[in-house]
Amino acid sequence: MNFSLFCSALVVPCRFSNTLATKLVERHRKSKLASHTREEAETKDTTVLTAPRDYKFVYPEFLPDPTWWKRDRIREKLEREDMMRRRSVIEIPEFYVGTVMAVESSDKYAPGKKNRFVGICIQRGGHGLRAGFTLRNVIDGQGVEVQYDLYNPTIIRLEVLKLEKRLDDELLYLRDAPQEYSTVPFDMEPVVLPPGIAVPINTMKVKLGPRPWHERWERQELKGVEDLGLPERFYKRAAEVAKPWQKHDLMRDYRLAINEDETEEIMTDVYGKMQGIETQQKLRRRQGPGPAK
Amino acid sequence: MLRIPIKVTARKLPHAGGRGSGPQGRINKMRKLVTALIRHERIEGQYQWVDEARGYAERLILEAQRNGDTHKGTMEMADYWLLEKDLVHKLFKVLVPRYTNYPASFTQLWSLGETFPGRPVPMAVLELKGNPWPPVVPKERDQRNSLVNILLDQARKDYRQQKYESIAALELNKQSEQQTSNIDDSSASTS
Repeated sequence: MNFSLFCSALVVPCRFSNTLATKLVERHRKSKLASHTREEAETKDTTVLTAPRDYKFVYPEFLPDPTWWKRDRIREKLEREDMMRRRSVIEIPEFYVGTVMAVESSDKYAPGKKNRFVGICIQRGGHGLRAGFTLRNVIDGQGVEVQYDLYNPTIIRLEVLKLEKRLDDELLYLRDAPQEYSTVPFDMEPVVLPPGIAVPINTMKVKLGPRPWHERWERQELKGVEDLGLPERFYKRAAEVAKPWQKHDLMRDYRLAINEDETEEIMTDVYGKMQGIETQQKLRRRQGPGPAK
Repeated sequence: MLRIPIKVTARKLPHAGGRGSGPQGRINKMRKLVTALIRHERIEGQYQWVDEARGYAERLILEAQRNGDTHKGTMEMADYWLLEKDLVHKLFKVLVPRYTNYPASFTQLWSLGETFPGRPVPMAVLELKGNPWPPVVPKERDQRNSLVNILLDQARKDYRQQKYESIAALELNKQSEQQTSNIDDSSASTS
Protein backbone atom coordinates (compact mmCIF):
# COMPACT_ATOMS: atom_id res chain seq x y z
CA MET A 1 0.00 0.00 0.00
CA ASN A 2 1.14 3.54 -0.80
CA PHE A 3 2.60 5.08 2.37
CA SER A 4 0.96 8.51 1.93
CA LEU A 5 -2.42 6.89 1.31
CA PHE A 6 -1.95 4.88 4.50
CA CYS A 7 -1.08 8.06 6.44
CA SER A 8 -4.05 10.00 5.10
CA ALA A 9 -6.36 7.15 6.04
CA LEU A 10 -5.01 7.31 9.55
CA VAL A 11 -5.39 11.07 9.92
CA VAL A 12 -8.94 11.37 8.53
CA PRO A 13 -11.54 11.14 11.31
CA CYS A 14 -14.05 8.31 11.34
CA ARG A 15 -16.95 10.27 9.92
CA PHE A 16 -14.96 11.13 6.77
CA SER A 17 -13.91 7.53 6.27
CA ASN A 18 -15.76 7.43 2.96
CA THR A 19 -13.81 10.43 1.60
CA LEU A 20 -10.27 10.85 0.39
CA ALA A 21 -7.80 13.47 1.53
CA THR A 22 -7.79 16.63 -0.57
CA LYS A 23 -4.14 16.15 -1.41
CA LEU A 24 -4.72 12.69 -2.85
CA VAL A 25 -7.72 13.83 -4.84
CA GLU A 26 -5.74 16.71 -6.31
CA ARG A 27 -2.91 14.41 -7.35
CA HIS A 28 -5.31 12.12 -9.14
CA ARG A 29 -7.14 15.07 -10.68
CA LYS A 30 -3.94 16.41 -12.22
CA SER A 31 -2.86 13.00 -13.48
CA LYS A 32 -2.84 12.65 -17.25
CA LEU A 33 -4.05 9.07 -16.92
CA ALA A 34 -7.43 10.08 -15.42
CA SER A 35 -10.49 9.75 -17.63
CA HIS A 36 -12.17 13.08 -16.74
CA THR A 37 -12.14 15.98 -19.20
CA ARG A 38 -10.37 19.30 -18.62
CA GLU A 39 -11.55 22.77 -19.57
CA GLU A 40 -9.10 25.06 -21.29
CA ALA A 41 -8.03 28.21 -19.44
CA GLU A 42 -9.10 31.60 -20.72
CA THR A 43 -6.96 34.73 -20.59
CA LYS A 44 -8.52 38.11 -19.92
CA ASP A 45 -7.60 41.27 -21.80
CA THR A 46 -6.21 43.65 -19.18
CA THR A 47 -5.34 46.54 -21.49
CA VAL A 48 -8.87 48.02 -21.36
CA LEU A 49 -9.33 51.06 -19.10
CA THR A 50 -11.41 50.05 -16.09
CA ALA A 51 -13.20 52.22 -13.56
CA PRO A 52 -12.04 52.32 -9.92
CA ARG A 53 -13.84 49.79 -7.75
CA ASP A 54 -15.73 52.39 -5.67
CA TYR A 55 -17.06 54.18 -8.74
CA LYS A 56 -20.49 52.60 -8.32
CA PHE A 57 -20.85 54.35 -4.95
CA VAL A 58 -19.91 57.72 -6.43
CA TYR A 59 -22.39 57.47 -9.33
CA PRO A 60 -24.99 54.92 -8.18
CA GLU A 61 -27.71 56.28 -10.47
CA PHE A 62 -25.97 54.88 -13.55
CA LEU A 63 -26.78 51.34 -12.44
CA PRO A 64 -30.15 50.24 -13.86
CA ASP A 65 -33.07 48.84 -11.89
CA PRO A 66 -32.20 45.19 -11.14
CA THR A 67 -35.85 44.02 -11.27
CA TRP A 68 -35.66 41.43 -14.04
CA TRP A 69 -38.89 42.33 -15.79
CA LYS A 70 -38.03 46.04 -15.86
CA ARG A 71 -34.71 45.58 -17.60
CA ASP A 72 -34.12 46.72 -21.17
CA ARG A 73 -30.47 46.95 -22.21
CA ILE A 74 -31.10 49.34 -25.11
CA ARG A 75 -33.20 51.74 -23.03
CA GLU A 76 -30.58 51.66 -20.28
CA LYS A 77 -27.84 52.59 -22.72
CA LEU A 78 -29.89 55.41 -24.25
CA GLU A 79 -30.72 56.73 -20.79
CA ARG A 80 -27.04 56.69 -19.87
CA GLU A 81 -26.27 58.77 -22.95
CA ASP A 82 -29.00 61.25 -22.03
CA MET A 83 -27.62 61.50 -18.51
CA MET A 84 -24.18 62.22 -19.89
CA ARG A 85 -25.63 64.92 -22.14
CA ARG A 86 -27.23 66.55 -19.10
CA ARG A 87 -24.02 66.24 -17.11
CA SER A 88 -22.07 68.01 -19.85
CA VAL A 89 -24.37 71.04 -19.37
CA ILE A 90 -24.83 71.11 -15.59
CA GLU A 91 -22.35 70.10 -12.93
CA ILE A 92 -23.78 67.30 -10.81
CA PRO A 93 -21.30 66.89 -7.94
CA GLU A 94 -20.48 63.78 -5.94
CA PHE A 95 -22.76 63.53 -2.90
CA TYR A 96 -24.01 60.98 -0.40
CA VAL A 97 -26.77 60.58 2.12
CA GLY A 98 -25.85 62.97 4.95
CA THR A 99 -24.32 65.59 2.65
CA VAL A 100 -25.54 69.17 3.06
CA MET A 101 -26.60 70.51 -0.33
CA ALA A 102 -28.11 73.56 -1.98
CA VAL A 103 -30.36 73.29 -5.02
CA GLU A 104 -31.30 76.22 -7.23
CA SER A 105 -34.24 75.50 -9.49
CA SER A 106 -36.38 77.60 -11.75
CA ASP A 107 -39.85 78.35 -10.45
CA LYS A 108 -42.01 80.73 -12.44
CA TYR A 109 -44.07 81.73 -9.41
CA ALA A 110 -41.07 82.62 -7.23
CA PRO A 111 -39.69 86.16 -7.17
CA GLY A 112 -36.80 86.30 -9.59
CA LYS A 113 -38.19 83.02 -11.08
CA LYS A 114 -35.63 81.11 -9.03
CA ASN A 115 -35.89 79.06 -5.89
CA ARG A 116 -33.01 77.99 -3.67
CA PHE A 117 -33.33 75.28 -1.07
CA VAL A 118 -30.65 74.16 1.35
CA GLY A 119 -30.88 70.96 3.34
CA ILE A 120 -29.37 67.70 4.40
CA CYS A 121 -29.74 64.79 1.98
CA ILE A 122 -31.75 62.13 3.82
CA GLN A 123 -32.48 59.77 0.96
CA ARG A 124 -31.07 58.97 -2.41
CA GLY A 125 -32.57 56.50 -4.86
CA GLY A 126 -33.98 55.71 -8.26
CA HIS A 127 -32.24 54.50 -11.36
CA GLY A 128 -31.20 56.16 -14.60
CA LEU A 129 -32.99 59.36 -15.56
CA ARG A 130 -35.51 58.88 -12.74
CA ALA A 131 -32.83 59.05 -10.02
CA GLY A 132 -33.50 61.52 -7.26
CA PHE A 133 -32.79 62.66 -3.73
CA THR A 134 -34.59 64.26 -0.79
CA LEU A 135 -33.38 67.31 1.12
CA ARG A 136 -34.58 68.10 4.62
CA ASN A 137 -34.36 71.31 6.57
CA VAL A 138 -36.29 73.15 9.26
CA ILE A 139 -37.88 76.44 8.20
CA ASP A 140 -39.70 78.62 10.74
CA GLY A 141 -39.85 75.73 13.19
CA GLN A 142 -41.41 73.44 10.60
CA GLY A 143 -39.61 70.45 9.09
CA VAL A 144 -39.59 70.69 5.29
CA GLU A 145 -38.54 68.03 2.82
CA VAL A 146 -38.14 68.54 -0.92
CA GLN A 147 -37.73 65.70 -3.37
CA TYR A 148 -35.68 66.53 -6.44
CA ASP A 149 -35.07 64.56 -9.60
CA LEU A 150 -31.35 64.60 -10.28
CA TYR A 151 -31.79 65.03 -14.04
CA ASN A 152 -34.70 67.44 -13.91
CA PRO A 153 -34.07 70.17 -16.53
CA THR A 154 -35.54 72.87 -14.26
CA ILE A 155 -32.62 72.47 -11.84
CA ILE A 156 -30.20 75.34 -12.44
CA ARG A 157 -27.43 74.58 -9.99
CA LEU A 158 -26.52 71.79 -7.59
CA GLU A 159 -24.06 72.72 -4.90
CA VAL A 160 -22.47 70.60 -2.20
CA LEU A 161 -21.99 72.68 0.95
CA LYS A 162 -20.57 69.96 3.19
CA LEU A 163 -19.52 66.64 1.71
CA GLU A 164 -19.83 63.80 4.21
CA LYS A 165 -21.36 60.39 4.72
CA ARG A 166 -23.41 59.14 7.66
CA LEU A 167 -23.58 55.71 9.24
CA ASP A 168 -26.90 54.76 7.62
CA ASP A 169 -28.12 54.46 4.04
CA GLU A 170 -31.21 56.55 4.79
CA LEU A 171 -31.71 59.27 7.39
CA LEU A 172 -35.51 59.14 7.48
CA TYR A 173 -35.33 58.91 11.27
CA LEU A 174 -34.45 62.60 11.37
CA ARG A 175 -38.23 63.16 11.05
CA ASP A 176 -38.61 61.76 14.54
CA ALA A 177 -35.50 63.43 15.96
CA PRO A 178 -35.34 66.90 17.53
CA GLN A 179 -35.18 69.68 14.98
CA GLU A 180 -31.59 70.70 15.69
CA TYR A 181 -30.37 67.52 13.91
CA SER A 182 -31.84 68.57 10.56
CA THR A 183 -31.48 72.35 10.77
CA VAL A 184 -29.09 73.88 8.27
CA PRO A 185 -28.70 77.66 7.84
CA PHE A 186 -29.57 78.90 4.33
CA ASP A 187 -26.50 81.15 4.24
CA MET A 188 -24.10 78.31 5.01
CA GLU A 189 -20.62 78.70 3.53
CA PRO A 190 -19.32 75.70 1.53
CA VAL A 191 -16.80 73.60 3.48
CA VAL A 192 -13.74 72.95 1.31
CA LEU A 193 -12.05 69.59 1.78
CA PRO A 194 -8.33 69.19 1.09
CA PRO A 195 -7.80 67.53 -2.32
CA GLY A 196 -7.23 63.79 -2.48
CA ILE A 197 -8.86 63.08 0.88
CA ALA A 198 -11.43 60.30 1.34
CA VAL A 199 -15.01 61.37 1.96
CA PRO A 200 -15.31 61.89 5.74
CA ILE A 201 -17.85 59.81 7.64
CA ASN A 202 -19.86 61.61 10.29
CA THR A 203 -20.27 59.16 13.17
CA MET A 204 -22.79 61.30 14.99
CA LYS A 205 -25.49 59.36 16.87
CA VAL A 206 -28.95 60.87 16.84
CA LYS A 207 -31.13 60.85 19.95
CA LEU A 208 -34.70 60.32 18.77
CA GLY A 209 -37.65 62.05 20.37
CA PRO A 210 -40.41 60.17 22.23
CA ARG A 211 -42.86 57.87 20.45
CA PRO A 212 -45.13 57.85 18.37
CA TRP A 213 -42.79 57.62 15.38
CA HIS A 214 -43.20 57.40 11.63
CA GLU A 215 -41.65 53.93 11.53
CA ARG A 216 -40.71 51.18 13.95
CA TRP A 217 -37.08 52.16 14.20
CA GLU A 218 -36.29 49.41 16.71
CA ARG A 219 -36.91 46.84 13.94
CA GLN A 220 -34.31 48.37 11.64
CA GLU A 221 -30.63 47.92 12.26
CA LEU A 222 -29.76 51.60 12.55
CA LYS A 223 -26.19 52.54 13.34
CA GLY A 224 -26.59 56.29 13.62
CA VAL A 225 -29.17 56.26 16.40
CA GLU A 226 -28.62 56.26 20.15
CA ASP A 227 -30.32 53.66 22.35
CA LEU A 228 -34.05 54.00 21.79
CA GLY A 229 -34.93 53.31 25.43
CA LEU A 230 -38.08 51.28 24.70
CA PRO A 231 -39.72 48.70 26.97
CA GLU A 232 -38.50 45.10 26.62
CA ARG A 233 -41.58 43.92 24.66
CA PHE A 234 -40.64 46.07 21.64
CA TYR A 235 -37.23 44.41 21.26
CA LYS A 236 -38.80 41.00 21.81
CA ARG A 237 -41.26 41.58 18.99
CA ALA A 238 -38.47 42.99 16.79
CA ALA A 239 -36.49 39.78 17.30
CA GLU A 240 -39.57 37.75 16.38
CA VAL A 241 -40.14 39.47 13.05
CA ALA A 242 -36.44 39.75 12.17
CA LYS A 243 -35.16 37.84 9.13
CA PRO A 244 -31.59 36.90 10.07
CA TRP A 245 -31.29 34.33 7.26
CA GLN A 246 -31.35 37.06 4.63
CA LYS A 247 -27.95 38.36 5.70
CA HIS A 248 -26.00 35.47 4.18
CA ASP A 249 -28.40 34.61 1.33
CA LEU A 250 -25.96 34.88 -1.56
CA MET A 251 -28.56 34.23 -4.23
CA ARG A 252 -30.97 36.78 -2.80
CA ASP A 253 -28.24 39.40 -3.00
CA TYR A 254 -27.47 38.29 -6.52
CA ARG A 255 -31.07 38.61 -7.65
CA LEU A 256 -31.59 41.99 -5.94
CA ALA A 257 -28.56 43.72 -7.43
CA ILE A 258 -26.82 44.27 -10.74
CA ASN A 259 -24.04 41.69 -10.77
CA GLU A 260 -20.37 42.61 -10.55
CA ASP A 261 -19.47 41.93 -14.18
CA GLU A 262 -22.32 44.05 -15.50
CA THR A 263 -21.54 46.81 -12.98
CA GLU A 264 -17.94 46.82 -14.12
CA GLU A 265 -19.02 47.03 -17.76
CA ILE A 266 -21.41 49.93 -17.10
CA MET A 267 -18.97 51.79 -14.85
CA THR A 268 -16.14 51.42 -17.35
CA ASP A 269 -18.41 52.98 -19.96
CA VAL A 270 -19.35 55.79 -17.52
CA TYR A 271 -15.73 56.30 -16.46
CA GLY A 272 -14.56 56.78 -20.04
CA LYS A 273 -17.23 59.41 -20.72
CA MET A 274 -16.86 61.18 -17.36
CA GLN A 275 -13.15 61.82 -18.01
CA GLY A 276 -14.02 64.10 -20.94
CA ILE A 277 -16.84 65.84 -19.07
CA GLU A 278 -14.66 66.51 -16.02
CA THR A 279 -11.93 68.17 -18.09
CA GLN A 280 -14.58 70.35 -19.75
CA GLN A 281 -15.92 71.36 -16.33
CA LYS A 282 -12.43 72.19 -15.05
CA LEU A 283 -11.87 74.46 -18.06
CA ARG A 284 -15.24 76.14 -17.50
CA ARG A 285 -14.46 76.69 -13.80
CA ARG A 286 -11.09 78.25 -14.68
CA GLN A 287 -12.76 80.60 -17.16
CA GLY A 288 -15.14 81.76 -14.42
CA PRO A 289 -18.90 82.14 -14.40
CA GLY A 290 -20.22 82.97 -17.84
CA PRO A 291 -23.62 84.34 -18.83
CA ALA A 292 -26.52 82.62 -17.09
CA LYS A 293 -28.24 79.89 -19.09
CA MET B 1 -21.92 36.99 -13.10
CA LEU B 2 -23.03 33.41 -12.67
CA ARG B 3 -22.34 31.13 -15.59
CA ILE B 4 -25.43 28.98 -14.98
CA PRO B 5 -29.08 29.59 -15.84
CA ILE B 6 -31.01 30.55 -12.69
CA LYS B 7 -34.69 30.97 -11.97
CA VAL B 8 -35.69 34.63 -11.67
CA THR B 9 -37.32 33.91 -8.32
CA ALA B 10 -35.93 31.54 -5.70
CA ARG B 11 -37.77 28.32 -4.87
CA LYS B 12 -39.27 28.50 -1.40
CA LEU B 13 -38.66 24.79 -0.68
CA PRO B 14 -40.97 24.72 2.36
CA HIS B 15 -40.05 21.15 3.26
CA ALA B 16 -36.32 21.28 2.62
CA GLY B 17 -35.34 21.66 6.26
CA GLY B 18 -38.25 19.60 7.58
CA ARG B 19 -41.90 20.63 7.62
CA GLY B 20 -42.55 24.02 9.18
CA SER B 21 -38.88 24.95 9.30
CA GLY B 22 -39.50 28.00 7.10
CA PRO B 23 -36.87 30.06 5.28
CA GLN B 24 -34.27 29.42 7.97
CA GLY B 25 -34.72 25.69 7.40
CA ARG B 26 -34.32 26.19 3.68
CA ILE B 27 -31.05 28.04 4.16
CA ASN B 28 -29.82 25.36 6.59
CA LYS B 29 -30.54 22.68 4.01
CA MET B 30 -28.71 24.71 1.38
CA ARG B 31 -25.72 25.02 3.72
CA LYS B 32 -25.64 21.27 4.23
CA LEU B 33 -25.80 20.63 0.49
CA VAL B 34 -23.09 23.18 -0.34
CA THR B 35 -20.84 21.75 2.38
CA ALA B 36 -21.40 18.22 1.06
CA LEU B 37 -20.67 19.35 -2.50
CA ILE B 38 -17.38 20.99 -1.54
CA ARG B 39 -16.45 17.95 0.56
CA HIS B 40 -17.35 15.11 -1.81
CA GLU B 41 -17.29 17.01 -5.16
CA ARG B 42 -20.31 14.99 -6.30
CA ILE B 43 -23.69 14.71 -4.54
CA GLU B 44 -27.08 13.28 -5.35
CA GLY B 45 -30.44 14.61 -4.20
CA GLN B 46 -33.82 16.01 -5.15
CA TYR B 47 -33.54 18.05 -8.32
CA GLN B 48 -35.05 21.23 -6.87
CA TRP B 49 -32.85 21.16 -3.76
CA VAL B 50 -29.70 20.42 -5.66
CA ASP B 51 -30.46 22.97 -8.37
CA GLU B 52 -31.06 25.63 -5.73
CA ALA B 53 -27.85 24.70 -3.91
CA ARG B 54 -25.96 24.95 -7.17
CA GLY B 55 -26.43 28.72 -7.32
CA TYR B 56 -25.08 29.13 -3.78
CA ALA B 57 -22.04 26.97 -4.50
CA GLU B 58 -21.29 28.82 -7.74
CA ARG B 59 -21.66 32.19 -6.07
CA LEU B 60 -19.44 31.16 -3.15
CA ILE B 61 -16.62 30.00 -5.43
CA LEU B 62 -17.01 33.09 -7.59
CA GLU B 63 -16.78 35.40 -4.57
CA ALA B 64 -13.76 33.51 -3.24
CA GLN B 65 -12.11 33.82 -6.62
CA ARG B 66 -12.91 37.50 -7.01
CA ASN B 67 -12.06 38.73 -3.51
CA GLY B 68 -9.51 36.24 -2.20
CA ASP B 69 -9.04 35.04 1.37
CA THR B 70 -8.05 38.46 2.72
CA HIS B 71 -11.51 39.94 2.13
CA LYS B 72 -13.47 40.06 5.36
CA GLY B 73 -16.97 39.69 3.91
CA THR B 74 -16.02 36.77 1.71
CA MET B 75 -14.35 34.96 4.59
CA GLU B 76 -17.47 35.49 6.70
CA MET B 77 -19.60 34.03 3.88
CA ALA B 78 -17.29 31.02 3.56
CA ASP B 79 -17.45 30.54 7.31
CA TYR B 80 -21.27 30.64 7.20
CA TRP B 81 -21.79 28.41 4.17
CA LEU B 82 -19.20 25.74 4.96
CA LEU B 83 -20.28 23.91 8.09
CA GLU B 84 -17.04 21.93 8.30
CA LYS B 85 -14.27 24.45 8.73
CA ASP B 86 -11.48 22.52 7.02
CA LEU B 87 -13.42 23.16 3.80
CA VAL B 88 -12.77 26.91 4.07
CA HIS B 89 -9.13 26.06 3.43
CA LYS B 90 -10.12 23.80 0.53
CA LEU B 91 -12.26 26.56 -1.01
CA PHE B 92 -9.46 29.14 -1.09
CA LYS B 93 -6.43 26.92 -1.55
CA VAL B 94 -7.77 24.17 -3.82
CA LEU B 95 -10.90 25.26 -5.66
CA VAL B 96 -9.91 28.86 -6.40
CA PRO B 97 -6.62 27.83 -8.08
CA ARG B 98 -8.46 25.05 -9.90
CA TYR B 99 -10.93 27.47 -11.45
CA THR B 100 -8.55 30.31 -12.27
CA ASN B 101 -9.41 31.71 -15.73
CA TYR B 102 -12.08 29.07 -16.06
CA PRO B 103 -14.35 29.88 -19.01
CA ALA B 104 -17.51 28.03 -17.91
CA SER B 105 -19.54 27.20 -14.80
CA PHE B 106 -17.80 25.45 -11.91
CA THR B 107 -20.53 22.88 -11.39
CA GLN B 108 -22.44 20.43 -13.51
CA LEU B 109 -26.01 19.26 -12.92
CA TRP B 110 -27.25 15.94 -14.27
CA SER B 111 -30.92 15.01 -14.18
CA LEU B 112 -31.55 11.46 -13.01
CA GLY B 113 -35.27 11.13 -13.67
CA GLU B 114 -37.94 10.34 -11.13
CA THR B 115 -37.85 7.85 -8.30
CA PHE B 116 -39.79 4.61 -8.79
CA PRO B 117 -41.68 2.91 -7.20
CA GLY B 118 -43.58 5.33 -4.97
CA ARG B 119 -44.20 9.04 -5.23
CA PRO B 120 -42.28 10.35 -8.24
CA VAL B 121 -39.51 12.70 -7.07
CA PRO B 122 -37.17 14.16 -9.70
CA MET B 123 -33.58 13.41 -8.67
CA ALA B 124 -30.31 14.91 -9.85
CA VAL B 125 -26.55 14.72 -9.47
CA LEU B 126 -24.53 17.85 -8.79
CA GLU B 127 -20.77 17.80 -9.16
CA LEU B 128 -17.82 20.15 -9.16
CA LYS B 129 -16.16 20.27 -12.53
CA GLY B 130 -12.71 18.78 -12.75
CA ASN B 131 -13.45 16.26 -10.01
CA PRO B 132 -11.43 13.05 -10.00
CA TRP B 133 -14.38 10.63 -10.17
CA PRO B 134 -15.30 8.65 -13.28
CA PRO B 135 -17.61 10.69 -15.55
CA VAL B 136 -21.38 10.54 -14.95
CA VAL B 137 -22.06 10.04 -18.64
CA PRO B 138 -19.52 7.45 -19.77
CA LYS B 139 -17.27 8.48 -22.60
CA GLU B 140 -18.13 6.63 -25.78
CA ARG B 141 -15.26 4.40 -26.88
CA ASP B 142 -14.00 4.72 -30.42
CA GLN B 143 -14.60 1.22 -31.77
CA ARG B 144 -14.09 1.85 -35.47
CA ASN B 145 -10.85 -0.07 -35.46
CA SER B 146 -12.07 -3.17 -33.68
CA LEU B 147 -11.72 -6.37 -35.76
CA VAL B 148 -15.46 -7.09 -35.91
CA ASN B 149 -16.23 -3.58 -37.17
CA ILE B 150 -13.49 -3.75 -39.82
CA LEU B 151 -14.84 -7.09 -41.07
CA LEU B 152 -18.42 -5.79 -41.07
CA ASP B 153 -17.35 -2.67 -43.00
CA GLN B 154 -15.59 -4.81 -45.59
CA ALA B 155 -18.61 -7.12 -45.91
CA ARG B 156 -20.85 -4.08 -46.41
CA LYS B 157 -18.54 -2.73 -49.07
CA ASP B 158 -18.43 -6.07 -50.87
CA TYR B 159 -22.20 -6.37 -50.81
CA ARG B 160 -22.57 -2.88 -52.23
CA GLN B 161 -20.03 -3.61 -54.94
CA GLN B 162 -21.97 -6.72 -55.94
CA LYS B 163 -25.18 -4.75 -56.04
CA TYR B 164 -23.66 -2.05 -58.28
CA GLU B 165 -22.27 -4.67 -60.64
CA SER B 166 -25.63 -6.40 -60.97
CA ILE B 167 -27.36 -3.09 -61.64
CA ALA B 168 -24.76 -2.18 -64.23
CA ALA B 169 -25.24 -5.56 -65.94
CA LEU B 170 -29.01 -5.05 -66.02
CA GLU B 171 -28.60 -1.59 -67.56
CA LEU B 172 -26.27 -2.99 -70.22
CA ASN B 173 -28.78 -5.70 -71.07
CA LYS B 174 -31.60 -3.16 -71.39
CA GLN B 175 -29.52 -0.90 -73.66
CA SER B 176 -28.53 -3.76 -75.96
CA GLU B 177 -32.19 -4.89 -76.18
CA GLN B 178 -33.29 -1.37 -77.08
CA GLN B 179 -30.63 -1.10 -79.78
CA THR B 180 -31.73 -4.35 -81.38
CA SER B 181 -35.39 -3.28 -81.28
CA ASN B 182 -34.47 0.06 -82.92
CA ILE B 183 -32.63 -1.75 -85.72
CA ASP B 184 -35.69 -3.99 -86.21
CA ASP B 185 -38.00 -0.94 -86.41
CA SER B 186 -35.83 0.90 -88.90
CA SER B 187 -35.50 -2.18 -91.13
CA ALA B 188 -39.27 -2.62 -91.01
CA SER B 189 -39.93 1.01 -92.02
CA THR B 190 -37.47 0.98 -94.93
CA SER B 191 -38.90 -2.27 -96.40
